[in-house]
Amino acid sequence: MKPMRIPMILIAALLLCAGPSVVFAATLMADLENALMCKCDDKCGKVLINCTCDTSKETRKALMSKLESGLTFDQIVKQYVDKYGETVLSAPSKSGFNLLAWITPFAALVIGGFGVRQVIHSWARPASANSDSKEDDPQEAAPEAGKYSKRLKDELDRLES
Amino acid sequence: MNDIGEFALLLALATTIYGIVSYVMAFRSNRVDLYLSADKTPIIVWACVMVSSIALWRAFMTDDFSLQYVWAYSNIDLDVFYKFSSFWGGQKGSLLFWTLILTTYMMVVHVQNRKQNLRLVPIALAVMMVITLFFLVLLNFSTNPFERIPVPPADGRGLNPILQNYWMVIHPPTLYLGYVGFTVPFAFASAALLTKNLDDGWIRLTRKWTLVSWFFLCMGNLFGAQWAYVELGWGGYWAWDPVENAAFMPLIIATAYLHSVMIQEKKDMMKVWNMSLVLLTFVMTIFGTFITRSGLIQSVHTFDEATLGYYFLAFLGVIIAFAVTMILIRLPLLKSKNELDSFLSRESSFLLNNLVLLGIAFATFWGTIFPIVSEAFRGVKITVGPPFYNQVNVPIGMVLLALIGIGPVIAWRKATWSNLKKNFTKPVAAAAIGAVLLFPFVPLTDRSEIFTYITFVLCIFVTTSMTIEFMKGTGARMQAHGESPITALSGLVWKNKNRYGGYIVHLGMVMIFAGIAGSQSYTIDVEKNLKIGDRFQLGSYDFIYEKLLVKEQNSTKTRVIAQLGIERDGQRVWTGMPEKEFYKGQNQPVTEVDLISTLKEDVYMILADFNPETSDATIKVKILPMVKWMWLGGCVIAFGTMIALWPDRLEVRRRTERLKRQEAIFMPAQE
Repeated sequence: MKPMRIPMILIAALLLCAGPSVVFAATLMADLENALMCKCDDKCGKVLINCTCDTSKETRKALMSKLESGLTFDQIVKQYVDKYGETVLSAPSKSGFNLLAWITPFAALVIGGFGVRQVIHSWARPASANSDSKEDDPQEAAPEAGKYSKRLKDELDRLES
Repeated sequence: MNDIGEFALLLALATTIYGIVSYVMAFRSNRVDLYLSADKTPIIVWACVMVSSIALWRAFMTDDFSLQYVWAYSNIDLDVFYKFSSFWGGQKGSLLFWTLILTTYMMVVHVQNRKQNLRLVPIALAVMMVITLFFLVLLNFSTNPFERIPVPPADGRGLNPILQNYWMVIHPPTLYLGYVGFTVPFAFASAALLTKNLDDGWIRLTRKWTLVSWFFLCMGNLFGAQWAYVELGWGGYWAWDPVENAAFMPLIIATAYLHSVMIQEKKDMMKVWNMSLVLLTFVMTIFGTFITRSGLIQSVHTFDEATLGYYFLAFLGVIIAFAVTMILIRLPLLKSKNELDSFLSRESSFLLNNLVLLGIAFATFWGTIFPIVSEAFRGVKITVGPPFYNQVNVPIGMVLLALIGIGPVIAWRKATWSNLKKNFTKPVAAAAIGAVLLFPFVPLTDRSEIFTYITFVLCIFVTTSMTIEFMKGTGARMQAHGESPITALSGLVWKNKNRYGGYIVHLGMVMIFAGIAGSQSYTIDVEKNLKIGDRFQLGSYDFIYEKLLVKEQNSTKTRVIAQLGIERDGQRVWTGMPEKEFYKGQNQPVTEVDLISTLKEDVYMILADFNPETSDATIKVKILPMVKWMWLGGCVIAFGTMIALWPDRLEVRRRTERLKRQEAIFMPAQE
């Protein structure tokens, strides 16, 4: 084995071992920066990941050292909530009263969906009113409807589509 | 000149009151003398507000620091360019600028309709004047831009440094043109309700106004995104800030209206719905202003004092009460013969489109006000930031994207299965092929990346369905008229400006969706502490930190620039100059990023920190894919809207004929 290969294998082995944890830490860090607001004196109102002020730099350093000390995402977030209150979170938690924030838009959409369905249902002509109620496909209904009505329908479709 | 400006505001106020009274009385009593008298007021009010605005601009340009507003937002060393834009840098000037745009629109409405649409125009103008009155009362009695300082200081405090960017010169006026523009449809809708002229006359009159306002609001939002992207130095363009949301909500509701109004035009349906959407759009513009001016919700856009919350809240209350009451009173007259031939029709798809758009608007509204709701019920004002909006709005947005592809190709009245098969086979096939081809190349490790993948597939679906629409029309023209493909395509678009202009706008939206998806999920970045000569790599680029430059731009601004050599495949491709700007009297420096922008990706360089003694620097570089697609999508939207707005000769002829036939309400009196 050439002498250069040994350090290379060692480096590769190190990277294999350290790589995932480095990537994991970076992902955790990004998650933390996304989950927390910047708490600077200027009250910049930005999520930490988007903030460029001096306070945010200090906060990032503190977060990194907490991660390195072995604290989990939840433990770090809890520490910040204990210190600053819920306002430090960039989004409402998915529990208790705050769950309302998450559920309401989708509930409104579902209710709206039922509303639209009802509206379409009430506006849709009864089946008997439709000349081609027997069959949806006008091509199949055409022999009965006659060639002129089919032509009129085709023209209308072309005009309106 | 300041005295003249101040007096002009008072004169505008008095004339506005006179205008409202005389328009209403003229309409009620059918007195032509009163009408002719009232008819001069829109121009007088506009002239007064213009004089007042010129006076304020003059004060900025001549460094007249005897005005408190000029002192607070300008200084001697400020570039002339920014002295001009300082006009709307603070609350007082913003409100004057709003009033200037509002009265300009009012004058245009007045001039456009001098001898026509007299059933609606006097009352519509009266409504616009009531809104003008609100702003003039604020300007005269609460937030006067001509407030003096007894002993004028030698220099001003200067404009907030982050507002000293060319996008900030363009972004607020564009946004205001959109915001204020929605007053016109609101005024005509109110006039229709008040005068019981509830046929689709008001819709015809305001369709282009709505489109123009929508266009400006859309562009205003995109310009704001550009500003955030190049100025704030975090590599993003949209932060779901309450003020951004405030500009986003009316845009979404107006989009819903622009679609649903087609059903009323074609089938005389959904009158109540369309009326409600127009009123709601205007309500949301005032709500947005309330958010900005109240300071009730913490926002990164709070650049100055926000003291007018109660005024705007009261105004908002009055408008909502008026809108709800009028719709309820006129409900019997607004009833239309709502009839659908089938569940499967373009009408149904538009209803679904409206549901999804309003769903996005509601989710955004809910997120914006939830901190207040939470404070009211729990005593805790929580934060609702980007993670909430992204999780809620992204899935709904993807449904909307799919509908952009479905809506235009589904038939009006009734879509049969064979019709659906004919129209959707190719787009679905293209999307399926795209999904397979993309699969090996895009990472799918988390929810965001999966959403991005789906978005790309939907973009292919929509683009194919739109392209087929163009190809079908072009082919038909080539066959019928024997035209060349280019002539046939341009003829097709020219003869159906609304329809194909709309399709082009849809293609622009697809580009924006693709740009957002690409840049949100596949961004890579690195932050390095560097000594001069150090190198690092990101993506396919090599970066060499070459030197740190310090430049004293003027007496108030010092620039610190990190020079980076950027190589690709061993070739130097760019010299990066990210910098920090230090303004006298400001705590935080301003970040000025440097960019290499291509269709594939943006290389975004930030000078995060530096040591002036050792010249060491902390450089952050991000590679954001496809951001340029968003800005190009904006250009495509602008192009499509221009086509849709272009005057149609046939329409002009119809209007002239209608005008000839129209019975003017004051005809008997004049006789």
